[in-house]
Order: sequence, then structure tokens, then C-alpha cells
Amino acid sequence: MSEDKYSDINGNTILLNSCSHSSFCREFTISTPKVSLRKIMAYTCSVWLIAYAVFLITENTTVLSAAIFVTLLGMMLHLHFVKIDHESLLIIGSLGIQMSSSYASGRESTTFIEMGKVKDIVINEAIYMQRVIYYLCILLKDPSDPNGVADVVPLFQSSKPRLSCLDKVYKSCQEIIGQC
Amino acid sequence: LNHLDHPHRKHNVCMVSDFFYPNMGGVESHIYQLSQCLIEKGHKVIIVTHAYRNRKGVRYLTNGLKVYYLPLQVMYNQSTATTCFHSLPLLRCIFVRERITIVHSHSSFSAMAHDSLFHAKTMGLHTVFTDHSLFGFADVSSVLTNKLLTVSLCDTNHIICVSFTSKENTVLRAALDPEIVSVIPNAVDPTDFTPDPSQRDDTKITIVVVSRLVYRKGIDLLGGIIPELCLKHPDLYFLIGGEGPKRIVLEEVREKYQLHDRVRLLGALEHRDVRKVLIQGHIFLNTSLTEAFCMAIVEGASCGLQVVSTRVGGIPEVLPEDLITLCEPTVKSLCDGLEMVIAKQRAGNVPPPAAIHNRVRTLYTWRNVAERTEKVYDRVAKEVVLPLDKRLQRLMAHCGPVAGSIFAFVAVLDFLLLLFLSWLVPDYVIDIAVDASGPHGIWKNKHSRKDFKILSDTSFT
Repeated sequence: MSEDKYSDINGNTILLNSCSHSSFCREFTISTPKVSLRKIMAYTCSVWLIAYAVFLITENTTVLSAAIFVTLLGMMLHLHFVKIDHESLLIIGSLGIQMSSSYASGRESTTFIEMGKVKDIVINEAIYMQRVIYYLCILLKDPSDPNGVADVVPLFQSSKPRLSCLDKVYKSCQEIIGQC
Repeated sequence: LNHLDHPHRKHNVCMVSDFFYPNMGGVESHIYQLSQCLIEKGHKVIIVTHAYRNRKGVRYLTNGLKVYYLPLQVMYNQSTATTCFHSLPLLRCIFVRERITIVHSHSSFSAMAHDSLFHAKTMGLHTVFTDHSLFGFADVSSVLTNKLLTVSLCDTNHIICVSFTSKENTVLRAALDPEIVSVIPNAVDPTDFTPDPSQRDDTKITIVVVSRLVYRKGIDLLGGIIPELCLKHPDLYFLIGGEGPKRIVLEEVREKYQLHDRVRLLGALEHRDVRKVLIQGHIFLNTSLTEAFCMAIVEGASCGLQVVSTRVGGIPEVLPEDLITLCEPTVKSLCDGLEMVIAKQRAGNVPPPAAIHNRVRTLYTWRNVAERTEKVYDRVAKEVVLPLDKRLQRLMAHCGPVAGSIFAFVAVLDFLLLLFLSWLVPDYVIDIAVDASGPHGIWKNKHSRKDFKILSDTSFT
């Protein structure tokens, strides 16, 4: 088990925790920093200041209560559906690949792909938000065409690690896929 | 062009144009062939173009030629809209991650090419521009395009034109110093266009026309020639390949003179089918009204056909005098020229196709084009890119008081936007891309390719 520091595509530090359970079973977990208090403060303050400005113009107090409501609801939704703290990839040779992501609220979502469907794991390039980035993805076999690719499942979508980190995960995954 | 001090210097070249495959045309194949030959010479080459329908993202072509299809909005005629700024973030990211040293833009019709020249100069990269077309000076659209070209080219390091006529035209239009303009003609792949006399029917005489059926290509002239010659020569046949808005003119002529059996319209041709059409003919006819460098007549001659063409633009430079019959762009002159060649053909007084092919095959090769382009790159790499203050002075001095001030202002804004972007996403945060071509390219090396598999057909945006 080892823990390495890498950075994501925006230059923030992320932690890659790689854990080798056996020679054909490995787990990679990428942890991103927790929601910072400063960020919450900044968003809350800006929403409230805007609401207060609107209140001064309209002199309607519902604006203020709406602002409080919006901030609370926004924070809850953000923690429950957007902010992912850990993303993990569990690869077990001959069995399959499990991807799970745990949200800041504690909610977890897990997907499993059996090995029979996996064609390969590759690093690909994509245009993302006015940038060109590398990402790791699983290629799924097309049942009708033995050489074709039915679908592409991107990995670590939320943490978006840089190439050096992807390369490490990629090489270990290839070792396991190569065995079976 | 005798700068050969660093023969081993390798460049990282980025070709930018709105026009690239799957769109078909002269500029597209020029960029592709030139890139392939530069890769063969050991340079790293990537191509940037806009997305064509579902073809977007990053793709790899033969020999590790990497193509970026960027999701930019297409405005008119496959050319993207320009705001001078919106393409900067993506282009900067590509220039940085691919460690580009020279940005080579193609075609003055392409907004993306001008945008990338502008951004490259802001980023301090060397710039080269290839002009593929001729323009007029009088009508409103030409005046505007010429102004844009003046602004775009006044601080570009080097300009390449495809013929001397084109050079003269570009120098006048963009008010350039002729010293920084080189002439490098286009080329054809001679192995693609070999003659095959067995495919043609020698009991009749076939005239082949392969061109887009548009006004610029003189299709109205063709519509005048067809009935006149068909009436005089009962054994004359026309084979016309290509598609366009002027097809209706030819269809009307065919209808009016009942020439359905003698004038065949083949519609749009794939590039690989062009030879099949060419080798069926005896005479190749080109009726263009304006042409910087005519690839079609070289292809025709390479297939061993007698070439008859209008004397416009750079055409007289293209082939040696005895391989081409030049006429004025009028129906009468073209008919006279064709009659003369038909008479020669009947008398058997023409060189055999293989002899013509052998002469043409050495005239224009892509290797030669790549060699000459490489010299331009070597020369450009030694020049200094103007810093912002010099660039502003140059813009103000060269482009007139109004346009000069406007574009100097735009250049300053572009520079500020670049500063903002490099604060938002600093260079060290951008991953350096793995080279597919060039000195450290992994494409040619089969062993290391296993280490880093590249998936070329999928992308998500």
C-alpha cells in the first residue's frame, strides 16, 4: 500500500492511494481535498450581498429569506450530488472492474463492469472546457463486432488527475489485464 | 532560400486551417501531403482544424499525424466565425502542450488560420502563412479581405505562395515586402496519376473536364464550347466530373442540343476516382477564370492527356509550353485551341501518354515541396518574433490609421487575455503531450507503442 501526491488538471494536489491486495487484485483511490471553509464563505457571502442589494432596491423581505433558503439548499445539493471526495477503482483480474465514488455527504455510487465486457483500458485525449486533457477510460467490447468498441467509460471523472498519475494507474491495470 | 546552416534542426510545426479532410479540395490535400513529407523528414507535425459534424476531438492519421478537430462554430462555406478571441484558450493549450515552435496557417479564406496567426504572434511563436488563392482588388468583398490580409500578414514572419502570379497578387494585396514571400508550387503524387491508354476509346475523341462546377471555374465558357464543337465533330465526347451550382448550365445545354449520349455528367468524384476518369480521355480541358496554381492540369498531364487551358493567373507557369495549349478565356479562343489539338490528335501528331507522364512526374513532387518548406522554417526559426510594442508600431504604420488602431487595440486585448489565461491555467499545469511524430515520436517505434496505447476514434467533449 502506498500513497503518492499528484496534481489534478487545475494544479490542485490530489492523493493517489494504491493498494495491492494480491497479484491480480489492485485498488486505486484518488482523494481530493475537502470542501474548504473559505470557498463556502465566499459563495455564501456573495449570494447574501446580492440578495441584500436586491432587497435595498425592491424593499421586499422575501428576497432575504429566499437567499438563505437558496444557500442552504445549494450547499446540500452540492455536497450530495456534485462534490466527490474519493474516487476508487478496484480491478480484479478475470472478474471485473469496480468503480465507486463517495460524495462529501457520505453517499456512495458504485458501478461494476465484468471482465468479459472489458476490451481494454487506455489513456485518451479529449477537449474539455476550452482545454485538451488526458483521461483514463475503459473500452467496452461490441458484441456484434469483435474489433469494435461499443462504448467508452471515463474513469476518475471528478478528480481529473494529470498524465503522470494516469500513467501509473494505467501501467498497473495493464499488468493485471495482461495476465488474463 | 539558401539558408542551410542548421540542416539537422527539427521543428514542431502546427498546421492550422479550416479546410482539412473529410472536406475535399486542393488545400486539404496540400496540408496532408506536406505534413506527411515533413514527418518523413523527422519534424513533428500536428494539424488543427474545426470539427466536421461528429468528427471532433483528437485523431491520428497515417505515420502519427495528429489532428485536432476543435468544436468551433462554422459560419460560412466551412469557415469558422471569428471574434479574434474565443479560440485563444484552446489554441494556447494546444500550442503549449505540443511545444509548438512554428505555426503554419493555410488559405486566406480560413478565419481560423488568421486567428491562429494572431494568437501565435501574441504568444511569441514563429508564424508562416501559405496563400492558396488569387483575389481581385475592385469589389467590396475583395477590398475587405485584402484589408484583413494586410493586418494579418504585416507581422507574419514568412509567406508562401503557390506561383509567381500568386506572389505578385499577394504582395500587392497585403502591401508586403517581397523579400519575405517565397514561391513553393503545389505538387501531385505521380504514382496516383499514371497513364493507361488501353482504357480510352480511340475511335472517338474524348474531352475530360474535372472541376467543381462553379463560376470561378468558367463553367459558363464550357457551356458555350460544348454545342459549338459537338456540331462540328460528330466523334467528339465530353466527360465532365464534378458537382456545383453551375451544373444546371451544362444540363440546359445538353437538353437544348440533344447531346445526352455525348456529354456525360459524372457528378461529384472521390479523389481516388479522378484517375479512372482522366485515363478515359484524350484531351484535358480547364476553363478556370482565376487560378493561383492549377493542380488539375498537372494531374491531367500526368495521366498523359493533351492539356488545353485558359491563360489566367498562375497557369502559364505550371507546365512547359509544349505540354499545354493556352487560350484566352473566351469561347472562341478555347474552341480554336481545342480544334487545333483535335486536329493534332487525329493526325497522330501528339507525344505518347507515357512520354508526357515521364516528363511531368519529376516536375512537382511533395518531397521537393517539403524540402523547400523546411528551408522556410529554418529561416523563420532564426528570426525574432516582434515583441508587443514593436508589433503595435508595425500595425499602426502598415495598416492605415483606422484599421491599424483598431487591430492594435485588439492585439493588446489579446495579450491581456493571454495573461489572464496564463494566470488561470499556468503553463506548468498543462500536460505536455506525448509526441506521435518528430524526433521523439513513438509512432515509428513499435515497442514503445505498446507502452502507450492510443485510441483514435473516440472522444467526448
